[in-house]
Amino acid sequence: MRIMLKQYGDILTSRPAGREAALAMKARLRPAAGKKIELDFDGVLSVGPSWLDEVLRALQADYGRDGVICLPTKNLSVIESLKVIGR
Amino acid sequence: MKTETRALIVKIIQDEGSARPIELVKSLGISPQAIHRQLRSLVACGFLEPRGRGPMTRYFIAGAPQLNAALSWHASIARPAETQGEFLCQTRDVFTARLGRLSLFTRMGLKEDELPLIISMTGEIGNNCFDHNLGNWRDVPGCWFEAQASGGRLWICVADRGQGVFRSLTRADPTIPDEQAALVAAFERTLSGRTPENRGNGLKFVRNIIVASVGRGLACRSGAGLVERGRLGAECSKELTRFPSQPGGTITLILWSLK
Repeated sequence: MRIMLKQYGDILTSRPAGREAALAMKARLRPAAGKKIELDFDGVLSVGPSWLDEVLRALQADYGRDGVICLPTKNLSVIESLKVIGR
Repeated sequence: MKTETRALIVKIIQDEGSARPIELVKSLGISPQAIHRQLRSLVACGFLEPRGRGPMTRYFIAGAPQLNAALSWHASIARPAETQGEFLCQTRDVFTARLGRLSLFTRMGLKEDELPLIISMTGEIGNNCFDHNLGNWRDVPGCWFEAQASGGRLWICVADRGQGVFRSLTRADPTIPDEQAALVAAFERTLSGRTPENRGNGLKFVRNIIVASVGRGLACRSGAGLVERGRLGAECSKELTRFPSQPGGTITLILWSLK
């Protein structure tokens, strides 16, 4: 199941916004058994580690570390955020 | 004689932050024609930068930031006015919305692929102002957020009148001895004044981006503490130390070379 993150804004930086986005995602997520949740950054201008940490932490708590993947992107803010939060 | 006059013009502008030609005429006691001739020469050499039009044109040192308003707001002992409309973000929502303004600097040489980094890095710093001071501001709530390009360089200033890094971090680690040690810990350790929440990697992210390229620098001052990171960090420190420190709040200055 793919989540288009641009639906949550083009600048995704703060923890409160990340928590709110994660709650909204979880309310709608109905992944089929064995299907991973894919986070798609296409169309997002910038992502900060605080926002991404909140979203990944919330989704991985429910679907496991391997159940949530970040799709490849050239956006440097995503790449650097993933490095620093170690997920 | 010409060299001496040019040096005096540069000195006046350095001291005052900027100057109009008429002010230089009065200060130096030479003709308007001579002042304009010297100003044209200094602009052509890349020392000065004109801003504005006609008689309201002001001349600035090229590549240097104009931080008087930000630093005065941050360092003021008295409670500053809350109506600093263009730069004061009283809430996180206002700050986040204004982050998008950084896109304008792609027209001034900021690389498209670096824009996401600049926004997220500035976002982490500004969000810290709200995360650590919400409900606990010294006087004026919110953060100052200002960005300006000059002489092929982008300067970004984020400041608050909150509790400061030392008071925030010693809640998580009471062994931190002073403001300097607190600032170093903020940039180097995964530690947050919002303990027991699991957070504290935003400034490590900022540091990683700043040190990743030679054309970047940052300085952060909180009370008597001052840290700099990156090849251009010393230039940022120099700007921040032009103003007296004050017993609280945090101010961060970022310098980013444009193409």
